[in-house]
Amino acid sequence: MSDNTKAIFTGDRCLSCTSCMANCPVMAAVKEYRGPKLVGPAHGRMHFSQEDVEESLNFCSNCKSCDRACPSGVAVSTLNMLQRAEYYKNHPHLRHEDMLAHGERMAKMIRMMPFGATFSNIGMSIGKTLGVFSALGLAGERNMPAYASTSFKDLHKRIKQTSASRKVVMFTGCYINDNEPQVGEAFVKVMNANGYEVLIDEGFNCCGSPLVVTGFLDEARQHADNNVARILDWKRKGIPVVTPCTSCSLMLKEEYHELFGEHEMHEAAENVYDAFEFLEILQERGQFNEDVNPINQRLLYHVPCHLKSQAIGLPAQNILEEFGAKVVTADAGCCGISGNYGFRKDKYEISMKIGAKLFERVKEQDFEKVISDCGTCRMQIHHGTNIKPCHPIEILAKAYK
Amino acid sequence: MKTSDVIVIGGGLAGLMAAAVAASRKQSVTLLTYGSGSLPLASGAIDFLDAKNPDAAIKNLPDTHPYKKIGAKAIDASTKFFCDVAAQANLPYVGRTSAQIPIVTAVGTLKYSAIVPESMDATKLADKKKIFVVELAGLKDFYASMIVDNLKKYFPDKIFETAKIDLKLLGGRDITCMDAAQLLTDNEQPLANELKALNAGGDDAIIIPPILGVAGNFSRDIIKTQLRAEIFETTCLPPSPAGIRLQRAFIKYLQKSGVKIFENSKVVRGVVEGKKVTGVVVENVVREKTFPARKIILATGGFYSGGITMREFDSPKETIFDLPVFFPTGAENWSNQQLFEDKPQGFSMTGIFTDENLRPVDASGKILFDNLHVVGANLGGCDKIFERSAGGIAISSAYKAAF
Repeated sequence: MSDNTKAIFTGDRCLSCTSCMANCPVMAAVKEYRGPKLVGPAHGRMHFSQEDVEESLNFCSNCKSCDRACPSGVAVSTLNMLQRAEYYKNHPHLRHEDMLAHGERMAKMIRMMPFGATFSNIGMSIGKTLGVFSALGLAGERNMPAYASTSFKDLHKRIKQTSASRKVVMFTGCYINDNEPQVGEAFVKVMNANGYEVLIDEGFNCCGSPLVVTGFLDEARQHADNNVARILDWKRKGIPVVTPCTSCSLMLKEEYHELFGEHEMHEAAENVYDAFEFLEILQERGQFNEDVNPINQRLLYHVPCHLKSQAIGLPAQNILEEFGAKVVTADAGCCGISGNYGFRKDKYEISMKIGAKLFERVKEQDFEKVISDCGTCRMQIHHGTNIKPCHPIEILAKAYK
Repeated sequence: MKTSDVIVIGGGLAGLMAAAVAASRKQSVTLLTYGSGSLPLASGAIDFLDAKNPDAAIKNLPDTHPYKKIGAKAIDASTKFFCDVAAQANLPYVGRTSAQIPIVTAVGTLKYSAIVPESMDATKLADKKKIFVVELAGLKDFYASMIVDNLKKYFPDKIFETAKIDLKLLGGRDITCMDAAQLLTDNEQPLANELKALNAGGDDAIIIPPILGVAGNFSRDIIKTQLRAEIFETTCLPPSPAGIRLQRAFIKYLQKSGVKIFENSKVVRGVVEGKKVTGVVVENVVREKTFPARKIILATGGFYSGGITMREFDSPKETIFDLPVFFPTGAENWSNQQLFEDKPQGFSMTGIFTDENLRPVDASGKILFDNLHVVGANLGGCDKIFERSAGGIAISSAYKAAF
């Protein structure tokens, strides 16, 4: 199966049926985008000179709705991202693109300064008020995600875990590490309750998703090579790599191989699990700790696009419902933010237009909590509705005694 | 993983219909799809058979024909159920299986179909005095003058007028009917104003491309009430708003009924115990996942959708359960070189044969699995394109299998 998934080999399967166009949320929101079919599979194979660029390529948000709509297994969005990388070979990156792609670098710098997080947060709120973000090309309407005072990787060192023979390595993802470490804590609590010790590998880089979507493909490749080598190390030790971030898990499991096509990437992918996917496998093997307080909550579940793409069903819904929760899916399509897409000034409006249906659904407020496995989806829902969602693992963690 | 009462494999018309019928019977249903199905490419009209009275013609079909297994009762009930699902999404359909209704195609010919969206029902065109055909500036693949030239052959005595209106769609990509429909949703007034300016009277008709929104008939309702003339939509080239409306109507029904829809989920094989299928295996990019179920409905489509493949000549394969696939023997019977001739294509008869409950059978007629049912384009024994029965077979077989 692995060679079939390399994106450049999938373009020739395109029949131009237009299914991807009928399911593209960006096309529905804006008429300037010429659509996934033309930009990825068609133009990707047809352009013959460096000058021959399709400008509307920058509208693709990489939400992957086109990939899921395609009846022929074309990796449409990844073909778009490869095209985007081609474009940036001959065009300079804008400053905001550089910033949005390198959140990990920025966070590392801030963590090196005393009270760096506090000052950055103050700086960001002043910056927002003064319109600095807008001037930089960022969406001035948004709050930049605030830094947690302590990163999850530092927090993890203080968590007292009983050493166990069964271990997992947690791939934290940048957002959980720097902005929502409570999700990481919840993950550790749940894994501990199931007899797993959670290790952190300080050598992991950002999965590379923000780099891929902004056309820093060479850097993304370096991240991929490093992460894949480390995942394979853990695989040899028999320790799975698990992540509660659905965009990270999709990148590690599928997109590395689609983009770069190295066989090791596929081998490494076999050792990577989404958090609830892993828990559901434990449950199927009868190894799941069911000593859980009943979850008597009605939850509205926004299923991230990048979870839908993984074809693992909805393990979070299954597990939470098993313990009494009523989990209703929002069924409102893409939230619109799609990683750093909605943070760009020129894409903000599109991103909010795409999310409008979801915001409307959330505002019905016929539930106690909104849940979503993706950090940027949670940010977008919060921004669009003023209602703060959480990760489903936080609900489960609270239910463990 | 909880066991579903029913797993439906395939998200085309047959799969959506089967999932809807099963859900309406209070079954827990999981729908596994790979690709969005062909409805966004379809006209939205449901053909049952190319005959003035499809019901009567179905009676004369050979016993191997899928309709003979499905039976008149399920055919009738399926059309009612189908229209009801669509109506719940404010997408009224009209028609019955004992007659055919004309609709205007994108080139101005009339196509006859049993069940059609109300917005396309061109029956009353014959009573109109004057027919306006309206094209949109910037809209691809819709030419009012060509439509008029062709319609004149059907209605030589009528007055025709073409008009071109500008809804300011230009300035971006080439506009398809889907784009226009999406841009028009919740922004109907500019079109209403342009159409009002035609001054068409109560005895007149206005023919437009199918651009009246992508959600049911909400956009059409807003415009219709402002016009004295009756307004008719044509079919169009894909992507097709009428097909998208139908797909969304079904998906909305499934979501409301608690059906779990998992996209991108390619089923690679069944889990089999004797004559029982206990689940299906989905292969994602790195591993497999088993979805257990008490009943399975196979709606993966025929050759065109990959439900049946042929890698070796004369050896077609059903890809999930390796069911026996029937096809005309002898290479000379496979195809008819005259593509537009008045004869079916042999290879199109390829598919699975079943018993009366649509369970797959082998060459001797033995039922292979007790709880596996085959629907839609997977069924063999007829050329659905030639006889124009694909839509009818899809919804009626799905109804029979899921009920």
